Amino acid sequence: MIPPLRRKMFRDLLRLWAQVLAIALVLAAGVATLILGNGAYSSLHETRARYYDSYRFADVFADVTRAPRALMAEIAAIEDVLAAEARIVKLGLLDLPAMTEPGTMLLVSLPEGGARGLNRLHLRQGRLPDPQSAREVVLSEGFARAHRLRPGDSLAVLMNGQRREMTVTGIALSPEFIYALGPGEMMPDPRRFGIAWLPRPGMEAAYDLESAFSNVVLKLAPGASVDRAIEALDRLTAPYGGGGATARSDQTSHAFLDAELRQLSAMARILPPIFLLVAAMLVNITLSRLITLEREQIGLLKAIGYSSRAIAQHYLEFVLAIAALGIVIGLAAGVWLGAGLAQLYASFFSFPFLVFTRDPQIYGVAAAVSAASAAGGALFAVRAAIALPPAIAMSPPAPADYRARTGFLRRRLSLRQTDVMILRHLVHWPLRTASGVLGMAMSVAILVASLWSFGSIDHMIDVTFTRAERHDARVVFTDTRPARAAYAMRQMPGVLAAEPFRAVSAQISHRNLSRRLSVIGKPETPLLSRVLSPDLRPMTMPEAGLIVSEALAEALDVRPGDRVTVEFLEGARRTVTLPVSGVSLGYVGLGAAMELSALNRALGDGDVISGVGLLIDDAERDAFYAAAKDTPTTGFVTVTALTVARFKETLAENITIMITVYVALAGIIAVGVVYNFSRIALSEQGRELASLRVLGFSRREVAGILLGELVAIVLLAQPLGWFLGYLMGLGMVSAFSSDLYRVPFVIRPDVYATASLIVGAAALASALAIRGRINNLNMIEVLKTRE
Amino acid sequence: MAIDGKIIFRTKGLTKIYRSGAQEVHALRRVDFQAARGEFIVILGPSGSGKSTFLNIVGGLDTATAGKAWFGDRELTALDERGLTRYRRDHVGFVFQFYNLVPSLTAHENVALVTEIARRPMSPDEALALVGLSDRRDHFPAQLSGGEQQRVAIARAIAKNPEVLLCDEPTGALDSVTGIRVLEALTQVNRTIGTTTLVITHNAAIREIADRVLRFADGRIVDETVNAARKSPAEVSW
Repeated sequence: MIPPLRRKMFRDLLRLWAQVLAIALVLAAGVATLILGNGAYSSLHETRARYYDSYRFADVFADVTRAPRALMAEIAAIEDVLAAEARIVKLGLLDLPAMTEPGTMLLVSLPEGGARGLNRLHLRQGRLPDPQSAREVVLSEGFARAHRLRPGDSLAVLMNGQRREMTVTGIALSPEFIYALGPGEMMPDPRRFGIAWLPRPGMEAAYDLESAFSNVVLKLAPGASVDRAIEALDRLTAPYGGGGATARSDQTSHAFLDAELRQLSAMARILPPIFLLVAAMLVNITLSRLITLEREQIGLLKAIGYSSRAIAQHYLEFVLAIAALGIVIGLAAGVWLGAGLAQLYASFFSFPFLVFTRDPQIYGVAAAVSAASAAGGALFAVRAAIALPPAIAMSPPAPADYRARTGFLRRRLSLRQTDVMILRHLVHWPLRTASGVLGMAMSVAILVASLWSFGSIDHMIDVTFTRAERHDARVVFTDTRPARAAYAMRQMPGVLAAEPFRAVSAQISHRNLSRRLSVIGKPETPLLSRVLSPDLRPMTMPEAGLIVSEALAEALDVRPGDRVTVEFLEGARRTVTLPVSGVSLGYVGLGAAMELSALNRALGDGDVISGVGLLIDDAERDAFYAAAKDTPTTGFVTVTALTVARFKETLAENITIMITVYVALAGIIAVGVVYNFSRIALSEQGRELASLRVLGFSRREVAGILLGELVAIVLLAQPLGWFLGYLMGLGMVSAFSSDLYRVPFVIRPDVYATASLIVGAAALASALAIRGRINNLNMIEVLKTRE
Repeated sequence: MAIDGKIIFRTKGLTKIYRSGAQEVHALRRVDFQAARGEFIVILGPSGSGKSTFLNIVGGLDTATAGKAWFGDRELTALDERGLTRYRRDHVGFVFQFYNLVPSLTAHENVALVTEIARRPMSPDEALALVGLSDRRDHFPAQLSGGEQQRVAIARAIAKNPEVLLCDEPTGALDSVTGIRVLEALTQVNRTIGTTTLVITHNAAIREIADRVLRFADGRIVDETVNAARKSPAEVSW
C-alpha cells in the first residue's frame, strides 16, 4: 500500500504538473548540457585517440628540401624513435575541367611496405594503388565527395608544372588530415583542397627526388621526450634544408581539432551550472509557496503525530520527483543531442568511425549534481516547514506585514495604487524578486553570450580581409624567386597590381618562451597586404625590427622595445636578435612582419620573394586562374573571395546549429522562470485580484497588475543579463582563443536588443499562458473564504 | 414597463440553478423583489438558503439561470461580462466578511484604489472620516484590528458614492463590540449619503436596525417584515 503522504505527493505533482514540468525542463537543460558537452567531448576525444592509435598517427613531422634516403638510418636511430618514415610530400595544382578557380592537391607518397607505415590510410572505397604504378592514386574522401569522384574515375594534377592524368583506385581517410586545411586557407574546403596518396616512384620522378625524400615522420616510444627527438631530428635534417620539425601538438589538423575540443569542454563548464542554479531558485520559490499554502495541513499532520522528519521527507520527495523527471528528460535529450553533436563533428572532421562513450560516470555525476541542486533549492523551504509549531501552523497566517518603504519612490513617480501594489509586492519578497530577476538575467546572458559571435566574425572578416589583406589573390611560388618575379606576375592577364612578400619559417624566442611561425617580409608601405595597429591604422614596416601580432606578443611576453631571438629555419639558418618595433592586430595565427629587404638581409639572401599578392580585374579572373595554373613556378594560389565565402559558409552552418540550441536553452529558462513566477504570484495574489474584480476592475486591469510585476522583473533582468552575458562572452573569448586564432570580442548593440527581444517573447508567451487563469478568477469564492 | 423612480432594484422570477454533474441545486427559485432608493435592508436566512446567490446576482458578480433583475431601468440579467464589470465599478459597493483589503496598501491607499477608477468619487480622506478612521489612514491592514479593517473596507466601498452597498456577513468575523461599530458605520453611510444598503447576516439581532427585513429559505423569500422604527446599532444586543 502506498503511504498517504506519498499519495499526496503524487497528487501534488499531477496538480502542479505545469510548474513541475517547467522546473524539470530547466533541470533537464542542465543535465543535457552537462552530458552533451562532456559526452561529445569524450566521444571525440576517445574517437581521436583510438583513430590515432589504430592508424599509427606520427608524433613528429618535418619537411626538408631534399635529403638522401640514407639519412633515414640515422634518423631511425634517434633515441626513443619507434618508427621513422621518409615521404615525399608536395603540393600540386588541380586541373579539373569543371573548376576554373584554383585548387590545390597535397600529394603524399605511400610507403613501400603498403599499408604498414605511419599515418595509415583508412580505405573507404576501392584499393590502394599498385606500388609500381605512376598513374594510380587514392583520394581523400572529402575531396572525392565534393567532386563526385569514384574509383575508376580519372583526374589531372599539375605536378611540378607537368600535367599528369591519374586514375583513382580508392577513397581514403587519414589521421593526418582529420581537419584538412588547404595552404593559406582559414577553413577546410574539400572542393579546392584535397589529399592524394600515390606510390613513391611516380612522385620521385615528378619531383626529381630519386632515393631522396622531402618529409619525414616519426613515431616515438610512449613517454619519450618530443622536444629531444625534435632537436635530434633538426640536427640531422638541417644540412638538407630542414625547416624544423613540429610536434604533433603543432600539426595543423591536430591543433585545430584540439581547439575545437577545448571549446566543447568550455561549453560543458559554463552552461550546466547556470541551469542548475536557476532550477534551484525555481524549486525554492515554488516549494516555499506550496508549503505556505499547506501550512494548515502541515500543522494538522504534526498535531496527529507525524514527525517533522516525515514532513521534511515528504517535501523532499516532491522535489526529488521533479529532479528525477528533469534528470530523465535531460539524460534522454543529452544522449540524443550528444550523439547528434558528435556526428556533426565527425562529419565536419573526417573520422572513419565514431566512438560513443557511454560513460556511466558522467550520467551519474549529472544526475547527482542535478538532484543536489534541486534538494539545495528545497532546503530553506523545507526548514521552514519543519520549524512550524503545529498550533501556530493550524491557525491562518498573519496577514503579510507591509511597511511603507517605497514612499519616496511613490512620491517621485506619482504612481497609481495598482502600481504601488506591484512595487510593494516586489519589495516585500526581495529574495523571490531577486531569484526572478537573476533567472531572467541568465536567460538573457546565455543569448548575449551566443549571439555576439556573429558580430565578432563580421568584425574579424572586415579587419582581416577588407582592411588588412586587401589582395584578391595570392600566388605562392614553389621556391623563393628573384624579386623580378613580381614584375612577371604583374604582366599576367587580369593583374592590376602585384605586391611581393617573403615568408620564412622561424623560431622566435624571448627568454624561455618561444614560438614557431612564418616571418613575413613586406614592402615598407604595404598596400595590398597591410599590417594594422590595434586601433586599425595601417603600419609601415620598420627599417630593422619586427612587428609582432598581439597574440605573439602575449605568447612571448614582449613589448615594443624588447629584443627577441629569431632563428631562421631556412637557407643559411641564421640566428639574429631583432627589436620588437610594434604590435599589430591579427586574428588568425601568430604573426610577425618586417620590411622585405631587411628580412632578406637578416637571412643573408639576395633580393628574393616567396610570392605575390595581387589585385585582379574581375572580368579577367578566369584567364588569370588559367595562366597562374600554367606557370611552372606557381606553388599554390589562394583567392580571398573564396576563402572568405568558405569561412562564412562553414561558420554559418555551425553557428546556426549552435544558436538554435542556445535560443532553445534560453527559452526554457525564460519560460520556466516566468511561468513559475506568475503562477506563484497568482496563487498569492489571486484573492486580492479577485477582490479587485469585485470592486469593478476589468479583467484587463487585473491582469495588468500581475503582468506588471512580471514586466518589472523582466525589465530589471535586462541590464543584469547584458552584463552577465558580457562576462560570459569574455570568458568564452579567452577559452576559445589559441595560437591558431583569436576571437575579437565585439558585442554590437543589436546583440543586446535581440537577446532581450527573444527573452521578452518567451516571457510574454508564458505570461499569456496564465492569462486564462486571471480571467477566470472566482469572485464569489473570495467573498466567502478566508485565505 | 414604467418604473417607479424610487425603485432601485427589481427582480422577477429570479432563478439560479447550479449544476454539478447530474445533480442540480436550486439556489434561487423564482424570487420577486424590489428595493427603494435609500432603503436599508437586512437579509436573514440559514446557510444555503440562497441569500448570497441573490446578493451576487444583483451585485453583478453572478448570472441568473432564469428570470430578470433590473437596476433602475437597466436590465442586469442582459449584461455581458464587460457590462457587469462596468456596473460594479460605477454603481455598487461591496463589503465582505473577510474585508478583502489589499495587504500591500495602506488604509488610505486601499480607498484610493477605488476612487481612482470611479466616476464621481468622494476623497479617500472623506470616506475614512465617515467610518471614523481618519487617524489610521497610513496604516497597513496588518497594523489594523479586524473591526478597523472592516471599516476601511466600508470606506473603500462607499468612496465611489455608489447607489447601492452590498454587504455579505460584514460582522461575521467580528466580536459584538467591534461588530456594532461596523454596523454604526454602515447606518451612518446610509443616512448621510442615502446609499441603498443590503446586508446579509446570520445574526437575527441585527434585523432591528433595518427598514425592512427579508428572510430567505430554500431559495425563496419566505418572510418580509417592515420595521416601523429603526434602532441604532448600539441599542441592539447580541
